[in-house]
Amino acid sequence: MSTYIIRRLLYTIPIVFGVLLLTFALFNVVGGDISFEIAGGTTTQQTIDEIRQEYGLDKPLFLSWDSQFVNHFKNALTFNFGRARDREPVIDKIKRGIGPSLAITAPMFLGVVLISVSLSLVIAFVRGTMWDMLAVVVCVTGMSVPYLSFILFGQYFLAYKWGLFPVFFSPDLSMARNVALPVLIGIAAGLGGNVRFYRTVMLDEMRSDYVRTAFAKGLSPQRVLFKHVLKNAMTPIITRVVLAIPFLFLGSLLLERFFGIPGLGYLMVEAIGSRDYPVISAMTYMSAILFVVFNLITDICYLLVDPRVRLE
Amino acid sequence: MTHYETRTRQAVVARQRRCGGVVIWIAAALAFSGCRDSARNEEPNEMVLHHVLHSKIKGLDPGCMRDVYSIMVASQIFETLYDYHFLKRPYELVALLAEDMPQVSADRLTYAMKIRKGVYFQDDACFPNGKGRELKAQDFVFSIKRIAGIEYISPNWSLFDDRIVGLDEFREYTKSCKNETDVDYARPVEGLMATDDYTLLIKLKKPWPQLVSAALADISTAPVAKEAVDYYGRDIISHPVGTGSFKLNVWRRDSYIELVRNTAFRGELYPSDGEFGDAEAGYLDDAGKPIPFADKVVWTVIEEYQPAWLLFLQGKVDATVVPKDSYGEVMTETGQLTSKMRHLDIQLKTFPDPSTFWLGFNMMDKVLGRNKPLRLAISRAIDRRKFIELFFNGRHLVAHGLIPPMMDCFDPQIEQKGYARCDLQEARELLMQAETTYGAKLPPLKIAMPGTDTWMRQYGQFLERQLNAIGLQVEVDYMDRPTFEEKLNNKGVQIFASGTTASIPDAIEFLSMFYSKHAPPGPNKFNYSNPEFDGLYEKAQVMPDCPERRELYRKMEIMVLEGCAAVFLNHRVAYVLHHDWYKNYKPHAFAYGLSKYRRVDLKKQAAYKELQKKAK
Repeated sequence: MSTYIIRRLLYTIPIVFGVLLLTFALFNVVGGDISFEIAGGTTTQQTIDEIRQEYGLDKPLFLSWDSQFVNHFKNALTFNFGRARDREPVIDKIKRGIGPSLAITAPMFLGVVLISVSLSLVIAFVRGTMWDMLAVVVCVTGMSVPYLSFILFGQYFLAYKWGLFPVFFSPDLSMARNVALPVLIGIAAGLGGNVRFYRTVMLDEMRSDYVRTAFAKGLSPQRVLFKHVLKNAMTPIITRVVLAIPFLFLGSLLLERFFGIPGLGYLMVEAIGSRDYPVISAMTYMSAILFVVFNLITDICYLLVDPRVRLE
Repeated sequence: MTHYETRTRQAVVARQRRCGGVVIWIAAALAFSGCRDSARNEEPNEMVLHHVLHSKIKGLDPGCMRDVYSIMVASQIFETLYDYHFLKRPYELVALLAEDMPQVSADRLTYAMKIRKGVYFQDDACFPNGKGRELKAQDFVFSIKRIAGIEYISPNWSLFDDRIVGLDEFREYTKSCKNETDVDYARPVEGLMATDDYTLLIKLKKPWPQLVSAALADISTAPVAKEAVDYYGRDIISHPVGTGSFKLNVWRRDSYIELVRNTAFRGELYPSDGEFGDAEAGYLDDAGKPIPFADKVVWTVIEEYQPAWLLFLQGKVDATVVPKDSYGEVMTETGQLTSKMRHLDIQLKTFPDPSTFWLGFNMMDKVLGRNKPLRLAISRAIDRRKFIELFFNGRHLVAHGLIPPMMDCFDPQIEQKGYARCDLQEARELLMQAETTYGAKLPPLKIAMPGTDTWMRQYGQFLERQLNAIGLQVEVDYMDRPTFEEKLNNKGVQIFASGTTASIPDAIEFLSMFYSKHAPPGPNKFNYSNPEFDGLYEKAQVMPDCPERRELYRKMEIMVLEGCAAVFLNHRVAYVLHHDWYKNYKPHAFAYGLSKYRRVDLKKQAAYKELQKKAK
């Protein structure tokens, strides 16, 4: 297994290099020059030149040891992301945003997974009945409603009209109180798709011979569902769950924006809009690493839940 | 039970406890959060102003600041030599950190200013013993030289470019310095001197009548202590040390800013005179009282309009703009406040903004530049009233020219000249002429839009439909701001949507956008070149405000309109709502450091919840 892990870790090098190259090409070669926007509408050529020098835009793109790409690569490897366009160190921005982002995405993710897996087990058990039909209709409806509608509805009724939650982030309140409504909205909006997915997974398992055998042997439905079906359904669940974890660090753009949660979701989108290249570069690089690592963790998890799997 | 079974059972119990812990934690968090929102974390009689910022601020270093949101916050912390009178209209400049208005030499090239004594920087760790020192004339010299420093990359340099004797040479010298810290700020500049601790002398290369309004009343020249710059280095953007009535207490970047009263503030009084009607409007109720009134000023960054609006209705924000999507909830068809708003004692303030928005033409473009009938056809095809009705609930004013109506040189007869008329028949005829001028069928024209959001797309679709109606094919190109700026400055656009807001009550800013020597990256993005216009501009830019200059401004405006370098669309009219408890809220188009004048009637504020219940 260790050989496999080492090999997979070595794969990280070309993947991360590819990501760095792609990000660089997208924003530096395809995208335009940011110096005019930084300088403002009324400026001088001298200021433009100075900005280009400050941001290293006057250097060759690739073919030099001091080229923009080599510097970009060196900075990424040393985790020296420099300063954002507002002159704040990028790493400070990321450190500050990661907590609030996870405060929304982690409980939202846990809530969605726990509720949807449990619900899907129950729905799979009552498949073909009116309850199953009703669940499918509710799920499809939930999936069809735009995410923004959940937010606008939740913010207006739950927070403003009924006063159950704060309308917007307030530093006077605890983080738990600030994120409660966004988390609730995130769970409500995420349940439809997830329950549908896990229901399909559970139904595949419910039709297996071992389930019939288990019931024939007189095991209780609870034991069959939670002990046998759930364990056998773990492979697709792990794939979906573990691979979703890196995205938790990226935050949730709409929820952060509407509820004023100072997280990473909005930071990334704003950086793309304003071509804040040091921020984009840092976020993409870290996401790529997280994704590769969690991919590896997924494979190792397969090994833990399914004895038939061998990592070679 | 075997040892193995016992351990397995213990492990299962432990796992169940852990899972249970997570579930309980989530449930507790949600349940706890479900409690009703408690009162703000404020002292019972503390006066706090609650504002909204619709965009994040970029930094709090005045020399390197150009965005309006940063200026709004920084203006409470920093002060300038001059500022606008809070109440008087037309806008009038008054001394703030200066003792009096400047003494100007007969040739209008030398300005001498006495600095007010007894003004201290806010207490900060950058000073010995953390105690702010007295403001000196040298601080102004340092702050302006800093803008000139090439390594500082100030977006404000263009303001001083080729203006002050010796400053351009100082800028050249800074090129030889490797870092900002290597710059010798003691190096003399002939035209920028502190003749003693309380006298500042500025010598100009040529007369600059806007020196006081454009530079000395602008936040970019607010004095910054050298000690603070040396102490904080590049982090000075988040450690503002000014002389203003408030100082920074908390800045959660991207979300929240809190200023507290500067206890060492020198003391200032609320103005005792204003314009006609101010006394009746209650703006003089606090005349002669010491300011600031508030203990704290808080800004919450809220980029979406729904939460800002809901917080305003909850009474957690003092003032807000009228949100477009809630317009029907706020205003009746006759432009009055709805009964719901009146029951909540909400007040409406409207005021003309010194802004103009347009569809600009690149006069160097092969198709458009030499084809005036084509540019005119586009102008006649656009229904400005419909545009304003659709996109601004009919609140803005039609731009009949370049200069906004609030400027003193505005020509009240401009509407009659008909430059903004929409006439589809005439537009079609002009288009036929345009094809003859071009010598072939016109290719589709490209409109560059500075954004990719829904509003910008709707705007683009509107333009496309209006121009298609006269048989003109257009392609709308939506792009992010950096791409737009780059294309605009590289003369790579044909038609572009843009606009500007004046920072001083002088139309020269609008006219400078058509001066040929201000070609990109300067403000002339139209690439407009007219020697006759240039001659008048050069004459007007050194003239003090007088009837003759106003006439020159009007002449230049007509030249631009005749040349049809742009389709001027609208002038913004600001609609602001505020709670009745928010006192001394008189809008101002040019001054930003106004929080010191604002006051909250705490009794009325406390009674708002009851009012809200009744309204519900």
